[in-house]
Amino acid sequence: MLKNYWLTSWRSITRNRVHAAINIIGLAVGIASCILIYLFLQHELSYDQSFSDADRLYRVTSDMSLNGQAKKTALSHGPLAQTLTEEYPEVEQATFLLQMGQNSLRSKENALTVGISYADSNFFKVLPFPFVAGDPATALQNPFSVVVTEELARKYFGSADSALGKPLTYIASTFLVTGVISHPRPSHLQIDAVFPLHFDTNTEYMLNQWQMVGGYTYLKLFKAEQAGALTSKMPELYNRKAKPNQQMDGIAVTGYNIQPITDAYLDKDLEYPVGDVGNITYIYIFSVIAVFILLIATINYINLATARSAKRSKEVGLRKTIGASRSQLVKQFLAESFMLTLIAVVVALSIVELILPLFNSLTERSIDTIFILKPEVGLFILGIVIFVSFMAGGYPALYLSGYKPVEALKANATPNSGNARLRKALVVLQFTISLILIIGTVVVYNQMQHLKGVHLGFQKEHVISVKIPSIGWVRQKEKLALLKKEMLELPQIAYTSSAQQLPGEDALVSDFQVEINHKMVTRTINHIGVDYSYIDLMGIKLAEGRGYSREIRSDETHSYLINEAAAREFGWTDALDKRIKLPDDTLTSKVIGVVKDFNYKSLHSKIEPLIIRLEPHFGRLLTRVNTEADLSATLADMDKVWKKHFPAFPMDYQFLDESFQQQYRAEEKMLIIFTYFTILTIVIACLGLFGLSAYMAEQRTKEIGIRIVLGSSVSEIVLLLSRSFALLVLIAIVMAIPIAWFSMDKWLQNFAYRIEISWWVFVTTGLAAMTIALATVSYQAMKAALADPIRALRTE
Amino acid sequence: MSKEEFIIETQQLEKKYITDTVETTALAGVDLRIAKGEFVAVMGPSGCGKSTLLNILGLLDSPSGGTFRFLGQDISHASERQRAKIRKHNLGFVFQSFNLIDELTVEENIGLPLAYLGIPRAEADKRVKEAMERMGIAHRHAHFPQQLSGGQQQRVAIARATVSNPSLILADEPTGNLDSVHGREVMSLLSELNDAGTTVVMVTHSPSDAEYAHRIVNLFDGQIVTESLNARKHAAELL
Ligand SMILES: Nc1ncnc2c1ncn2[C@@H]1O[C@H](COP(=O)(O)OP(=O)(O)O)[C@@H](O)[C@H]1O
Ligand SMILES: [Mg+2]
Repeated sequence: MLKNYWLTSWRSITRNRVHAAINIIGLAVGIASCILIYLFLQHELSYDQSFSDADRLYRVTSDMSLNGQAKKTALSHGPLAQTLTEEYPEVEQATFLLQMGQNSLRSKENALTVGISYADSNFFKVLPFPFVAGDPATALQNPFSVVVTEELARKYFGSADSALGKPLTYIASTFLVTGVISHPRPSHLQIDAVFPLHFDTNTEYMLNQWQMVGGYTYLKLFKAEQAGALTSKMPELYNRKAKPNQQMDGIAVTGYNIQPITDAYLDKDLEYPVGDVGNITYIYIFSVIAVFILLIATINYINLATARSAKRSKEVGLRKTIGASRSQLVKQFLAESFMLTLIAVVVALSIVELILPLFNSLTERSIDTIFILKPEVGLFILGIVIFVSFMAGGYPALYLSGYKPVEALKANATPNSGNARLRKALVVLQFTISLILIIGTVVVYNQMQHLKGVHLGFQKEHVISVKIPSIGWVRQKEKLALLKKEMLELPQIAYTSSAQQLPGEDALVSDFQVEINHKMVTRTINHIGVDYSYIDLMGIKLAEGRGYSREIRSDETHSYLINEAAAREFGWTDALDKRIKLPDDTLTSKVIGVVKDFNYKSLHSKIEPLIIRLEPHFGRLLTRVNTEADLSATLADMDKVWKKHFPAFPMDYQFLDESFQQQYRAEEKMLIIFTYFTILTIVIACLGLFGLSAYMAEQRTKEIGIRIVLGSSVSEIVLLLSRSFALLVLIAIVMAIPIAWFSMDKWLQNFAYRIEISWWVFVTTGLAAMTIALATVSYQAMKAALADPIRALRTE
Repeated sequence: MSKEEFIIETQQLEKKYITDTVETTALAGVDLRIAKGEFVAVMGPSGCGKSTLLNILGLLDSPSGGTFRFLGQDISHASERQRAKIRKHNLGFVFQSFNLIDELTVEENIGLPLAYLGIPRAEADKRVKEAMERMGIAHRHAHFPQQLSGGQQQRVAIARATVSNPSLILADEPTGNLDSVHGREVMSLLSELNDAGTTVVMVTHSPSDAEYAHRIVNLFDGQIVTESLNARKHAAELL
């Protein structure tokens, strides 16, 4: 019997090639999307799972208050690690890590920009990075040692083994390689080179003070079950150690928590994360879209199967006459959908295999095809097969097997009207989903364009920033001054300057004393450090007062620029000469000017109050190139100047407009994926329409023949057949608009600078969908109308 | 004749079709008894209810009134599941339009009833082969229905109807789509089956086909108007 089911299914599939192809393509694309998203999800959930004892590894997080505003951060106090290890029996070992950003690290042959981390000597006892060479227990004991990853060791020394004991130069000191680690990936930690925290007294100081938070505390429990016990002790720890030791205004820690290391990556609500942060929201969005694609393909199956039922009813009747029971027929139809789904899975796996490199580059992940061999992925695919077979085959099976044999055997079984109504409802559903996604994509695209074009308050084009290698701060200061002077002599360069923070990057945050109503009040404020010519170079406009000037000596020591937002925040109608002081400063500074608001952070947020400090000696070199100058020639000239001062270092430069754009990179990539998926949904929906209209036309062959014989024109026939589909698409448009509008408006509320969704978005997407749908249907209608009417009439 | 030997007994069998506006009475009180081993021909003008009667006798349709006993059992109100079971075990059908499944080969078409009965593969193959040989279509076993002539298709249909050794064969104008030579061939096959003990009820328009039956039932407007014994057939059997 089973063989009979298979055979019949196989023949039914091969007899109706177009029908089968539509189903297989649709289901395969749907299934492939689901597999891809599932692999993506698996990958995102697997962060830090490959650390041995991952279940015992935790990170301390801090609740903080910033001007009374509560924030959660991944940061914590330096002495916490030692306290936890010594005073808390649950903790086997804890460690403190500082992430120092990117900097240059040199061997004799090679200078590379790498991620720099400082850690106490327990680091590798807590975080079990596998050692390829060296001893984890002692690797960070000597202050002038460094542990590097295998990749780095290979770049510097050719191999991991030969790296041990070799010197690397960082800032002005030499460190010997004492360990080579392999980096278990994926991981939220981005480690390239780890230095012992105590080589630098400035950072060692972090370990002994409870005022500042700036690093990360990781700990290993003796047993995973002790997490609860430790969590309940955290308030006591905070009250006993941190609270009495810090000033509670401005920035302050208000509590501690612990978090499994495996949750670190996906916790996007924590500020100051260690390294990469994933966004589970994207995964949810994509999962929903993938399920939609699968749903649309499933609907195609149901619609085509029931549309074809008139043809198959005869077969059903016959089988029943011969003695088939209903359950036997249900099984047969399910066998058919099962077989089709299986074929679709095979095609889907090939699609996944083909598309994975593109998907990886879009998502910036490295998901391996080997993933497919994992048992849980196999189970997932099996689940899809069963689910889709029943979803797609279930209704047609029940419906078709319910035919009464006598009626079914009649020459012209009339298609059931209730069934046709269901089909129409499903087509409306398909197009509603597609339209929502299309409108969504258009809105996201428009918003991204809007962000690019929004008035930034500065001129981001033609600005080049160059990193100064760490060669010790005295020499860095010297070189920066020389570079500014010499590059300004190049005819193409209009301004040179320097800044510690560039637009699009995080500003510093500190507590300032600010004069409000004649009293000095502590306020936590963003601040950046820039050179004299920064305002001019950036094209930032002054609202009041003046910019920094070399001629005025006091600017060097006690003058500040602020932005309009700061003036508003402090309630200053006349901001000039108002007093501002950093607690560490000896002198109280005066406001000398107010700049018009410019976007120094991401466009996600509104412009916050900002203090612009004068810092002419450090930071990145900035040049503004004349608009008409040739950029590559200018870069070559700049490089010549650079080579005079830094013959050993390549000029590490970036265009400001590009680096500014970086902050939207994740969104732009997601938009691309979003667009691909959206195109797929509409294509698959149209495939279904194509198949459906073919059956409609076939069913009405005779009617069309008669109409043509009676003198109807081809266009009248096309109109006749298209009209009902046009109505369905129209209903879908009407249904999609409010849903899309509501959900996209909600999404736009995340942006400080947002567009309003205009009516033409709906009109154009609606028109586009209608055009595509009608083109699809018209093809079949044309074919039917152009067929030889005599033959059509003879078919009975 | 004792009661147990009737394979079919109907009393005041009625069938009404109710469509949106009109009510059609297809059968208006049919009393019919068919004995085991009988060959009955049902005749009458088009639209008089012959097919309706046959479908009810074949348990493909249920009557709107009256009683219907099949092998002594009242099944006027049997469920679809029970009726499917009786069909599968006792009945074979032959139609005017052959009604073979286009997607299956000759062999597979014939084997289908056995598959539904759950008969083991080897046994089923044997019986399919015998049936094909009996019908003279063994050399066409791997062909699909469209590749056969009308006569051949009808022989496949008869092979399929008989392969499960049903006690009753119902044939609705089995020769209607065939020329006279093939028609006679089909009739003699049915006749042979009847000789071997199978009860046959056949709807026909053709008096010469009716000659093969023991008894001819004439229907008109949903009622039996005359019943006549086929003297020649009885005489032949007595010899
Ligand atoms: N499914 C049906 N719905 C409505 N009327 C029907 C149906 N089937 C048959 N009839 C009507 O019942 C009567 C008997 O039909 P049928 O048994 O097919 O006649 P015959 O086979 O003798 O030509 C006819 O008037 C026919 O129109
Ligand atoms: Mg008839």
